[in-house]
Amino acid sequence: MAESLGEIVHETEVIVRRDFLKILNAAAGAVAVGAIAWPFIDALNPTRDALAIAQPIVDVSGIAANTALRFVWMGTPIYIRKLTPKQIADNQFVVTSTLPDPASYTDRVKPGYETFVVVIGLNTATPCELLGNDPADPRGPFDGWTCPCDGSVYDPLGRVRGGPATKNLVIPKFTFLNDAQIQFG
Amino acid sequence: MSTLSKPWLQSRFPLLDSFRTYLTAPVLPREKPYLASLPVLIAGALIFQLLSGLVLSLFYNPADAFNSIQFIDRSVNYGWLIHAFHETGTTMIFGAVYLGIFRALWLRNYKAPGELLWFLTLGKFLVLLLIGYLGYVLADGAVSYWSLANSIGGAFGLSGVPGGIGVWFFGGPDGAGTLPRLAVFHGVLAVAMIGILLLHHAARRGAEPPVTRGVSLHPYYTSQIFAAFVIYALIFAVLVFFAPHLGENPLNRGPANPLVLPVTVSPPWYLLPLSNAGHVFVSAWGALFAVLARIALLAALPWLDRSAPGKPPGFPHKCLSLVLALDVILLCVWAMQPSSFIGGILLVLFTAYYFFHFIVLLPLTTALEAR
Repeated sequence: MAESLGEIVHETEVIVRRDFLKILNAAAGAVAVGAIAWPFIDALNPTRDALAIAQPIVDVSGIAANTALRFVWMGTPIYIRKLTPKQIADNQFVVTSTLPDPASYTDRVKPGYETFVVVIGLNTATPCELLGNDPADPRGPFDGWTCPCDGSVYDPLGRVRGGPATKNLVIPKFTFLNDAQIQFG
Repeated sequence: MSTLSKPWLQSRFPLLDSFRTYLTAPVLPREKPYLASLPVLIAGALIFQLLSGLVLSLFYNPADAFNSIQFIDRSVNYGWLIHAFHETGTTMIFGAVYLGIFRALWLRNYKAPGELLWFLTLGKFLVLLLIGYLGYVLADGAVSYWSLANSIGGAFGLSGVPGGIGVWFFGGPDGAGTLPRLAVFHGVLAVAMIGILLLHHAARRGAEPPVTRGVSLHPYYTSQIFAAFVIYALIFAVLVFFAPHLGENPLNRGPANPLVLPVTVSPPWYLLPLSNAGHVFVSAWGALFAVLARIALLAALPWLDRSAPGKPPGFPHKCLSLVLALDVILLCVWAMQPSSFIGGILLVLFTAYYFFHFIVLLPLTTALEAR
């Protein structure tokens, strides 16, 4: 009786040990396959120098109020505009439901950096580069931007106010690193 | 009704049934040696080569070949590692191929009913050599540039059909069009190798004697292959991380220069057994003849060997096989050296012994053994 019980205990131990070895092997194998596969996958990611070019850092400290910096990123013109207190006051409390494409002041700027408007400077109806970065440019009735091709009118926040266009200017992907630097991408 | 009793996928995809039969049918002989799994290891290494080659091909630019490889090594994420995988994978494949050929010579596997398998082994070897040569030339280093220039010069020197094939293959004198097409040939042939390996695998079953009480592939041989694979992968890992440029001419790490001929124009180790024909026979026709004659002698082995089929190799045969292997190794060692008077004589001697072995020694000893 005792002998057969010992055998049973022994067999159970063998099975438990084999299960443990199986799990151990499968786990180690999975780690090994992952470690081999990762270089192959990561090699297809962009290289560091390509990323550095694709994610440029722009100095915005030199932009005077009421003017905009034009900067080409990934083939599209980016406008970084510094607002004047009057432009902020004019646009801060506009009732958004009266706009063609409703968006509030806080939707169009980053918190903490409310004086800067960063937009892609292409008209959203006819893809045409907008005028209005310089105070001498034709800026339209809202002191923003106008399109020389179809006459669409935008306010300083990049919201559409008139013309064939019905969408606000696109805001590119960017982050403020500090008061003076914007990183795109 | 019978199809519906099977699981959903199996009834609709009969290949699964065949695969299961393939794994579990008790048709394999017992106690096959570990070295019999070499073809499986070659197939595994080839698939790994295809993966690393795929990644390399995304960044390789034939118009600016050397610099694009520098870019892979220095800028691409893990590019150095993928490049080392590809280089060392080549070494591992050819190591297994040469070992397999030596094993066939030693065991006389080429005798009936193994002739077809032997021809497929040689075909596999030849296509791999061509792929290896193309890959070496794609590096566009200081040495491989001259290898290519010499090959093209030789091919253009030939007249008639061989010259025509050379012009067609290289696409005119070394110009902008040569490397891009060689890159395509390299990749296409590498993928086509899978088909050759499948043919080879199918022919293996025909070359084995009938089995009375066999065992199944799974789990008996899958576990054996796995053990062999672990050893193979271990050697691979050691080479990748400690000797990624094993057997390569270090001068090939410099950019190609059409005005400077390197001291030695020696290819990587796996091409040496055939490329040294060019050192012995200087003319293009002579080199072509020497390469073809070496292969033809190997292909003629089933008839050069006079022993009875299935007879285990005797002591003289084993000795001769070892001497032949030593001869080929010495041939390669001397082909890597800068050319010298003594080296030239030794190369001729070793080459002469190679032909002497196959034409005289082998038929003689095997005929004596068979008596």
